[in-house]
Amino acid sequence: MTNAVLTATRPGRPATSDMVRRLPEYLMIWVPLLLSAAHLISFSIWTIWISFTPSTLVPVTGWVGLRNYNSVLASRNWQIAFDNLLLFGIAFVLLSLITGLVLAILLDQRIRGENVLRTIFLYPLAVSFVVTGTVWSWLLNPGIGIEKLVHDLGWSSFHFDWLVNRDMAIWTIVIAAIWQSSGFAMALFLAGLRSVDADIIRAAQIDGAGPFRTYRRVILPTLWPITITVVVVQLQFAISAFDLVRALTNGGPGIATQLPALVVYDLMFQRSQLGRGAAAAVLMLLILLAVLLPYAAWRYVQRRQATHA
Amino acid sequence: MPITTTRRRLLAGSAAALALPALARAQGAVKPRLTAISQWSAGSDGAAITALGKKFEEKGGIWQHSPVPGFTTEMMNKLRAQIIAGDPPACSQLKGPEIAAWSKIAPTVDLDAVVAAAGYEKVVAPDLAKLHKPWGKWIALPLQIYSTNMLFLSKRAMDKAKADKPPVTWADFNDLAEKMKAGGVIFPVANGGTRADDGQKFEASLAGISPAAYRAAIMNLDKKALEGPEIKAAFAQMRKITNWMDPNVGAQPYATNLKRFVDGDMGMMIMGGWAQGVLKNSGFKFDDYVIAPGPSDNGKPVFLLNADAFIFWQRKEPDLQAGQALMAQLVMDPAIQTMYSQITGSIPVRTDVDLSGEGWSDGQRRTAAALKDAVTNNQAVLSLAHNMAQENGLTAAMIDVFTEYAKNKTITPDQAVTRLAEAVEGSR
Repeated sequence: MTNAVLTATRPGRPATSDMVRRLPEYLMIWVPLLLSAAHLISFSIWTIWISFTPSTLVPVTGWVGLRNYNSVLASRNWQIAFDNLLLFGIAFVLLSLITGLVLAILLDQRIRGENVLRTIFLYPLAVSFVVTGTVWSWLLNPGIGIEKLVHDLGWSSFHFDWLVNRDMAIWTIVIAAIWQSSGFAMALFLAGLRSVDADIIRAAQIDGAGPFRTYRRVILPTLWPITITVVVVQLQFAISAFDLVRALTNGGPGIATQLPALVVYDLMFQRSQLGRGAAAAVLMLLILLAVLLPYAAWRYVQRRQATHA
Repeated sequence: MPITTTRRRLLAGSAAALALPALARAQGAVKPRLTAISQWSAGSDGAAITALGKKFEEKGGIWQHSPVPGFTTEMMNKLRAQIIAGDPPACSQLKGPEIAAWSKIAPTVDLDAVVAAAGYEKVVAPDLAKLHKPWGKWIALPLQIYSTNMLFLSKRAMDKAKADKPPVTWADFNDLAEKMKAGGVIFPVANGGTRADDGQKFEASLAGISPAAYRAAIMNLDKKALEGPEIKAAFAQMRKITNWMDPNVGAQPYATNLKRFVDGDMGMMIMGGWAQGVLKNSGFKFDDYVIAPGPSDNGKPVFLLNADAFIFWQRKEPDLQAGQALMAQLVMDPAIQTMYSQITGSIPVRTDVDLSGEGWSDGQRRTAAALKDAVTNNQAVLSLAHNMAQENGLTAAMIDVFTEYAKNKTITPDQAVTRLAEAVEGSR
């Protein structure tokens, strides 16, 4: 690399031999990049195309306009899924953010056994969502889980049946998702906390700020780029959430905890309605874009400001 | 009286195979081979198809069965992938209206000659036969029959209610449930929480109230019948049933609760005959429960038909074609159907099989008698919850309504009727 950089910076020289020498590098970067881009883009376009065809069991050609979209948008399944997504997305992102931040601040107090605790809090991330969902489905089942345990301990009026209560079931998914991924938020925040310049903190302390004030006025404001990253990563997880819900409630009780990804899977692989499933998938893509485009715009503006400064 | 394969039947089958020129050429020259996919991988289902494979091998064939565990739709996803890749299995599990739907996307084998030679058409219920020859020719063969609305009664729960007779009508059923509740049975209705389970509660209610309304509304999707008074009555009956169920079941399968059912903590279970296979496989005795036809308000049994079948996909390879011919003969063979049903708890498709012999349960005998009665009285209808009445998309849309209704007790029967009609309209 050093060699390559050196030759590349030499001005006004024909670069044929350089090109040959650097060929492996180009191949290493561009071939996989182009392949995955082509893969992603071609299948996205194909899905968009299928969403306008009358495909059912297998893909077929033909044109039905917006019929698939209209029928998906009019279905109770999708409406419930969309409402759930709003609730789940907001609750999950906010709560996992707060949990992660609190854990990070607590760990930041130079406590003993920090490594062990950090590993424990991060560990759920190493478990797949299917496992998380299955374990929590046992814990939350009133007949065999926490409710039964508390009953057996003697508190027989204790009531915790969220998993089978259609109004509260969506919150069980929030609980399990937070358990799984607040460790991720914690790790990022902890890294952010540790990267705050020690001089600034000392200066604040000299000015007489207590620990609470130091955090609120000095340290936390430096964390907001990390916060945005965490929000975006968690939001895209929330929008595409599938395995956790499938293992935990499978959209139930009834269809009370449907989420868009479950609807797509259901239409495509359970109901054999490829066209409608593709339409639902495209709708999901639009929701994702609604989150990612503002983020990309924000990054762009930030980079411009940085170069101008 | 045990059933054996008569030499004449086997000869008839072979003659049929010879009648098909392509198959005839194949069978003489090569060792028959069959590639098959099904969802049957474990428990009594797995045991039954493994036994069928053994018979296939005994007849000199090579048996290549790849089970896809899970719901039927999981198996269908594999089937779809294989068809799109141009490499369908020689034979796959498929049933009901799906046979017609799938036969549009890939060529199937014309089985008319084999079926005629075996004289099979005479011994298959006409409604059932129609599903397996959607375009006039046989392309699939039914293997076994279940009724999805059999009523399993726990002996111990019956004792607690001091009852000794199975209920005949829904009013009887409701009475008995109350008696069980009063007698200390915690949940008079044993249930699972799966979609099919909730669907069965509705179809059993409606078919028991009026098989004619079931036929018009569910099978023919008649708009007026879909909003008729029988549908509302069925939802009302289903509400009663759900009030007697264990609310903590969540999305567990019915089999999770079998022990509580046998112990008498749960009283009655509306389930297909396959539950007998599962009960037997779990080590419970025939004396632990009674199987009776599901409640029917006119007193005559209603049969909610569910039949497993094999569809045969066209292949060019001579050994696969020979395998298909052999498989077709086996599936139609009364001895094979006997063996299969005795393992799974179903009843044979053939109406001429005698169930009085050893190896059959009273429940199976009652199921077979119910089918005979129901066919005579035109009260045999196709099960919606088990994908016999409508294609997947419509079935799923309707079951959405049932499963939501089962779990949300604030929905009134009137609202449910409207939602059902809307769901049908929305997915047509």
